[in-house]
Amino acid sequence: MKPIAALALLLATAGMPVSAHHAFAAEFDAKKPVKLRGTVTKMEWINPHAWMHIDVKKEDGSVEEWMVETGTPNTLLRRGFTRDSLKNGTEVIVDGYQSKDGSLRANGRDVTLPNGQVLFLGGNSADAPDSEKSKK
Amino acid sequence: MNRLGILTFAISVVLLSPLKAQAPKAAAKTAAAVKKSAAPHTPWGDPDLQGVWNDATSTPLQRPGGVGAKDVLTDEEAVDFQKDLEHDLTRDRRDGGPEVDVNRAYNDHWMDARRLKITADHRTSLIVDPPDGRIPPPAPQSPEREKARAARAAANARFNAGLPDSYRDFSLPVRCIIRTDSPPYLPTIYNNDFHIFQSPGYVVIAPEMIHSARTIPLDGRPHLGKNLHQWLGDSRGHWDGNTLVVETTNFRTDDGVTFLGTNPETFRITERFTRVDADTLNYEFTVEDPKTWTKPWTARIPWTKIDPREQMYEYACHEDNYDMVHFLTGARAREKRGEAK
Amino acid sequence: MADGHPDLNGIWQALVTANLDLQDHEAQPGPHPELMGAYGAGAAGQSIVEGGEIPYRAEALAKKKQNFEKRMTVDVSSDKKWHDLGDPELKCYMPGVPRATYMPFPFRIVQGSSPYILIAYEFTSATRIVRMNWKGEAPTPSWMGWSRGRWEADTLVVDVTGQREESWLDRAGDFHSEDLHVVERYTPVSPYHLMYEATIEDPKVYTRPWKISFPLYRRLEKNLQLLEFKCVPFTEQMLFGRFGKEATK
Repeated sequence: MKPIAALALLLATAGMPVSAHHAFAAEFDAKKPVKLRGTVTKMEWINPHAWMHIDVKKEDGSVEEWMVETGTPNTLLRRGFTRDSLKNGTEVIVDGYQSKDGSLRANGRDVTLPNGQVLFLGGNSADAPDSEKSKK
Repeated sequence: MNRLGILTFAISVVLLSPLKAQAPKAAAKTAAAVKKSAAPHTPWGDPDLQGVWNDATSTPLQRPGGVGAKDVLTDEEAVDFQKDLEHDLTRDRRDGGPEVDVNRAYNDHWMDARRLKITADHRTSLIVDPPDGRIPPPAPQSPEREKARAARAAANARFNAGLPDSYRDFSLPVRCIIRTDSPPYLPTIYNNDFHIFQSPGYVVIAPEMIHSARTIPLDGRPHLGKNLHQWLGDSRGHWDGNTLVVETTNFRTDDGVTFLGTNPETFRITERFTRVDADTLNYEFTVEDPKTWTKPWTARIPWTKIDPREQMYEYACHEDNYDMVHFLTGARAREKRGEAK
Repeated sequence: MADGHPDLNGIWQALVTANLDLQDHEAQPGPHPELMGAYGAGAAGQSIVEGGEIPYRAEALAKKKQNFEKRMTVDVSSDKKWHDLGDPELKCYMPGVPRATYMPFPFRIVQGSSPYILIAYEFTSATRIVRMNWKGEAPTPSWMGWSRGRWEADTLVVDVTGQREESWLDRAGDFHSEDLHVVERYTPVSPYHLMYEATIEDPKVYTRPWKISFPLYRRLEKNLQLLEFKCVPFTEQMLFGRFGKEATK
């Protein structure tokens, strides 16, 4: 059944990438990967994209204010997260790609806590990726 | 990204979680089986479809080439099929190089986990007619329509290159005008929820994105006049036994964008909603447009009642659509720096 | 309805001019009368506020005046200041509660046999779901708020919390904070009228709760349906035109 593995590409008509509702490559630069370690100053639980604001302390002591694009909060709300779930001051590590125009904006390709735990993983509904029910 | 692009995602990014018992047969449960079961009814006597339903699945819209002519897989084949689809669709892969990786956007748990599961009946495509599981060949296009299609493709190309001219180069979903609420309903990467409401003489479907409601009168009134066009079309319904049959016409198009490039004057949809059991509803749609396809085609997608602990939430979109400005100011900044692509 | 409660199903609409201004207002020219003449001008209207005036805190009144002066100004060039200027209605944002009720557009109530009532508004195809006898709170604010309903005899009582603080109550700049608490009452008074009341409470903005009321009329035209008023395309040039290639040449 290995040919099926390529089905996603087979079905990609007109060369359109199989990806999000808009091509992230349109906005974020694959040639500008970033790894940011910072503290959360604000989490905007909004659609179409939730935005996480973090302060990143540079080696010279200055602080950069970054804006990290994430997904729809509705998925998280269904797993029991609320807007109080991420406290300001929480330290996070963002592994992503910087905005093509060079501004301090990145997509949150992988967002973890310093202990390696993925941010917002878990939750308490059948839909949670790591819940017992979803392991059926 | 235009509806074609959306369909591409929908083809490969849909999921149904088998929260209940597996259906052993390939075909949907027969009408006879439905009649046998005591289908719930509303107090005023209509079949009861009320509640919040989810349609996510990884089963692609069109049958992939690798499966040959098979429309239904054995249990063993289905395991592999699902595994391969999950591997392709999961966002938690980091392989393929940065060009591929950036488009995976963010961690998989921001998406609907149910989109990584194939349908319980192990079909290899959502399309059930034509029998090859693929969209029929296209009808010849007039030069005018071909020109419109090319203009749309050029706008998409500018957008994908990060150099849109104006907001008009963005797709309707990016502009927050319509999204999954425009029928026919197709599974997508997240927020695959549909809240069905009923009252005497009406069925009203409220999809999560983008917060709209489609009212379906059941009293046999005619469609709107031909000079009234709507993004969601104009729907009329009636009951055929336990099945709600909905006919939708009167579509509009702005900037040349419609469902898969169809012609709004001649495009029509027939949908069938049948509650199969307490937690399952069969959604089937037939689309036809002689100006776009040589024949109509039909797809069937199972909908599952969501966990009662879950809810459908408001999906406001235009209100906080910062990216509209990001895309445009980003393009202007790059043009200034002389970046052609 | 089978459960013994009144049947509120149907298309309803308000006839007051409160969307222009909740309080007493004279007829007024619209924006750019030099272009639009009588088009866009607003009719006079009497206050729907019980007692006539909204009891603003002194400092809040200053903000209302500021809102009104900037109601037609938009500037979305900075994410941080995205919502600072302009009437949300101008930008085709969802109007919130109670404003959605007195917008000059019809809305449909869909009341069935489930624990939810849908209210679908023609303006920007906004919807809200009234969760009947519901305990849980809003997980995060939303534009149309978090509505929980219950019946008190023949009155549908809807408790609305969790509204985005950026919405306004009318074009006159009347506003609220995210602590806004609205309690609506929909009472049938004839087969063709509902009496609508809303008590509005927000200690950050007002010195005490206040009340509005007006009738909602059943739309009776044969085969009437809500049509689409998807106004986002009407606002895009205003909001985003300046960032286009042509504009920045």
